[in-house]
Amino acid sequence: MKENLLLAFSFAKRDLYERYVGTGLGKFWFVLSPLVMIFIYSVIFSDFMKMKMNIVDNSYAYSIYLIPGLLAWTAFSNTIMRLNTSFFEKSSLIKKINVPMYTFQLAMVLSELFTFIISIILAVIFLLIINQPITLVFLWIIPLMLLQTIFAYGIGTIFSLFTPFFKDMKEIAPIIIQLWFWMTPIIYLSDMIKEKYPFLLKYNPFYYFVKQYQDIFLYSKTPELFYVIFVIVVPFISIAIAGTLYKKMVPTIKDII
Amino acid sequence: MYKVLEVKNITKIYKMYHSNIDRLKEIFTKKSYHKEFIANKNISFELYRGETLGIIGVNGAGKSTILKIIAGVIEPTSGQVLRHGRVTALLELGTGFNDQLSGRENIYMNGTLIGMSQKECREKEQDIIEFSELGDYIDEPIMTYSSGMKMRLAFSIAIFSEPQILIVDEALSVGDAHFAAKCTKALRERKEKNMSIIYVSHDLNSLKLLCDRAILLNAGEIATEGNVEDVVNTYNFLISKLNDSEDKMQIKNTKNNSFGTFDVEIQEVSIKGEKSNSDIISSGENTVITIDIYSKIDIENMTIGIMIRDKFGQDIFGTNTFHHNIPITFKAGKKHTCIFQMPLNIGSGKYSITTAVHSKDTHLEHCSHWLDNATEFEVAGIVGNQFVGLCRLEPSIKFEESLEE
Repeated sequence: MKENLLLAFSFAKRDLYERYVGTGLGKFWFVLSPLVMIFIYSVIFSDFMKMKMNIVDNSYAYSIYLIPGLLAWTAFSNTIMRLNTSFFEKSSLIKKINVPMYTFQLAMVLSELFTFIISIILAVIFLLIINQPITLVFLWIIPLMLLQTIFAYGIGTIFSLFTPFFKDMKEIAPIIIQLWFWMTPIIYLSDMIKEKYPFLLKYNPFYYFVKQYQDIFLYSKTPELFYVIFVIVVPFISIAIAGTLYKKMVPTIKDII
Repeated sequence: MYKVLEVKNITKIYKMYHSNIDRLKEIFTKKSYHKEFIANKNISFELYRGETLGIIGVNGAGKSTILKIIAGVIEPTSGQVLRHGRVTALLELGTGFNDQLSGRENIYMNGTLIGMSQKECREKEQDIIEFSELGDYIDEPIMTYSSGMKMRLAFSIAIFSEPQILIVDEALSVGDAHFAAKCTKALRERKEKNMSIIYVSHDLNSLKLLCDRAILLNAGEIATEGNVEDVVNTYNFLISKLNDSEDKMQIKNTKNNSFGTFDVEIQEVSIKGEKSNSDIISSGENTVITIDIYSKIDIENMTIGIMIRDKFGQDIFGTNTFHHNIPITFKAGKKHTCIFQMPLNIGSGKYSITTAVHSKDTHLEHCSHWLDNATEFEVAGIVGNQFVGLCRLEPSIKFEESLEE
């Protein structure tokens, strides 16, 4: 077990290394892609389109709202999507080498977490530049990111276990992810649907995460206790379900990939 | 002796389903949706320290399945594998190589995968590069390597990871003779240092050279086990039986290849050795081939031919009445008999006879009847001087002392 965790770390390192090996800019790409994203959403929405929210006194208010949600969602969906096809991606390895699949999956998750951390750091730097106040509450983002990653690991593993049985899952998963994205208040404000479709917020587990990022970025608001408990409990439930299914299904999956 | 590996009653059943959905249903419900394919049936054996065990068997006997189970990449349906030490398996070429990375980086990557620590990788790096003889290529990406180079690297990493148990599945067959010899030597050295090896190969010579003991798998079960020499003999016997049944099938399939205008029809063809009085004939024995022919029309200037073919369908000997300047005339409504008589100077084996009736020298112009595999016979034993090969040339042999210095 401990050996496999160490192995996962070294795979994750390798995964990150391989991602940009041979490219001209190399490691700089890790910073460049979130940087471009932040740039787009701040310049386009706040400068070009002049989208303003009257919620906080900052001309970049909408960008401040948009960026943490988008970055969190990007990390969340990337993790799930990578895990979803992980059995296919690693089939040549797991058919020949006795390393449990969850090691490879954990490596992918860790590698995505790393890019997530970089993008959030850049987002915080962006806040500094536009003079948005940063307080101690921002520290809560760190455990929040970890919990979100655990949640994505659980959901992604569950997806990945079914993909070898239905190849359609390869196509279905992106659709589910996209629907989920638009049902979560990331681009729009939660207030816009609160009255009409309250269930979209209530039964959307990712809303509980995204809401906290947004509140911290915009208002440095201490999260409500219920939200905190929710984001601690749900990831571990998802991991528990994933673990149970994993044990049950992996021997069969090894036969069919 | 110290056991490093115990394989206990391993059975592997592959379940075959109509669809993956049935497969999924079965995981979560009690109902059965599958047909079974038994890849391994109740296999048990032990491997001792410093021992090399050979596993042989025809394709589909279950060799790869049992190796994968020992390596731990697939789960047995029932039974247990106890491993007392690191198992490294060379199941297929280039296991876990990343094509984009250089050979050197792949040493680390592959090494980690098979259980070496970073420190071990660093220590062994130079040895691995030297042994693989890749030289400067080690810093080139793997995708530029030939399959032989990949194999050399994979083998070098495997052998320097110093496992207690090394599984080698036909990996050596890719390398050239020089590297194969080097591998064999390296394997023997490791054996001295108490590494146990499971070796699978169709190369019976290297098997005899390397292994202390062998197991013959047949249809998923252990057919025999023990001394390499004996097991290889049993294996050869198994193969010859397999070949025989294939031959029969071949002849059966082409048996009725018969065509022509059928105005003149070959009714029966038989072959008999003069002494044996049967279709099992000794080489060199005087033999009679009788062809019964029925004609519906009056026709002149026809040709009757025979062709003897071996079990691979190769033409061994053929001739016809045209080449012997015997004009053939058929009369309507009459039976005719044509007899070919000759000493059967061909080597031992199974043969078939093809006969034909046509005009001129070949059947291309007017072919009345062509009958493939009209009959079969076997040549067994030799009358006169011993020889090997297909044809019996009867040389006169002289031997004398040379006069000059």
